[in-house]
Amino acid sequence: METLETYQVKLEAFQGPLDLLLFLIKKRKIDIHDIPIAIITREYLEYLNHKKRINLDREAEFLLIAALLIHIKSQMLLPRERVLEEEEEKDLRQLLVERLVDYQKIKTASLLLKEKEDEELQKWRRTFLPPLLETDALDFIEVSLFDLAESFFRLMRQREKEETKTIKGKEISLEQKMREIIQELKKNSFLDFLDYFNRQESFEEAFVAFFSLLELIKSKIVIATQESHFQSIKVWFRKKAHKVN
Amino acid sequence: MDTKLREIIESLIFISQEPLSLEKMKEVLQEFPFEEVEGAFKELKESYASNDRGIQIIQRAGGYLLSTKPECDLWVRRLLKMERKNKLTSASLETLSAIAYHQPTTLSEISVLRGVDSTHTLKTLLQKKLIKIVGRKKSPGSPLLYRTTDKFLTYFGLNSLDDLPSPEEIKKILEEQADLEE
Repeated sequence: METLETYQVKLEAFQGPLDLLLFLIKKRKIDIHDIPIAIITREYLEYLNHKKRINLDREAEFLLIAALLIHIKSQMLLPRERVLEEEEEKDLRQLLVERLVDYQKIKTASLLLKEKEDEELQKWRRTFLPPLLETDALDFIEVSLFDLAESFFRLMRQREKEETKTIKGKEISLEQKMREIIQELKKNSFLDFLDYFNRQESFEEAFVAFFSLLELIKSKIVIATQESHFQSIKVWFRKKAHKVN
Repeated sequence: MDTKLREIIESLIFISQEPLSLEKMKEVLQEFPFEEVEGAFKELKESYASNDRGIQIIQRAGGYLLSTKPECDLWVRRLLKMERKNKLTSASLETLSAIAYHQPTTLSEISVLRGVDSTHTLKTLLQKKLIKIVGRKKSPGSPLLYRTTDKFLTYFGLNSLDDLPSPEEIKKILEEQADLEE
């Protein structure tokens, strides 16, 4: 019998639990559709025991599959009284095999992609032309109201911590604020969401500004976009709305 | 055929920021009949293929672009004083192929496929613009849906998603691996 020492590969070398399982299966030259659960479970657990460092996030994923393996194994050991149980066990095993098969495909494809990457990185192109000016030629994502509200409230919470005292500001109407936003857009073509609200003097004003912005989006006069997720939100005129104004 | 048309097309491919599609050529070269444009482009491609040039025309993401040849890589890098370009991590490659073959797909679907939480990798790929958000899935929690981008295609030298390694190709490789181990 082989000992673990002969093929000691660190757990860190594996992408995840499925990667480790595939490795063990390959090692034993087993058909992926016909895994001897008992043997593989034992070897898998040995691997977990031999890990050097502890990384909780990663370990949880490895343990999840360990639990599944043990569950399948225990199902197989128990006397089967009902057909139903047998089916359930089969299902779990079948599910694991299917996951492994799917994972194996992705992994193989990713190795092929890596080869393509290697070749492609040796081909050089010019990339130093100025960026396109047309904003809608760029790949913007329209921001949902939910995302907008989330950003806004996050910002307000931050400010809440900073400002303990607020001097009661002047009263501002929605209409006034909407006009102000439109003026800014005419001047600068776009408006940075966070920057704009940071510039508001008081909470009241920021809230009025936020509702004005929502109103403008609702009436399709402006649009809020993001170049990609997690990047800053920008507010623009909608092309057609611009002419109406 | 008209050498001038060939020269114009060459300039367009040279200056275009994105892979230049035949449709775009047609749009720009509106005063020429499309068959002529196509013919001239074909000639141009052939002349690049037959001459000993350091530059080649390659087809990417549904269009054409000019690039240096891989065998010139060493000297190009020396000129630009650049080390080898950064490559994607195995986690990124795995996540990309999970998305590429199952798109549009969600974070949790990707994580299940890989058996590993993929939140961080997904964020990196979004920042690199190799994937994009295309909407939300109509299921509990309305999770975001992801797809690969044109940049993904160009990055891996693919013309379209059809150029991804096919299931048959993958199956063949797996069988070969199994044979080797016998």
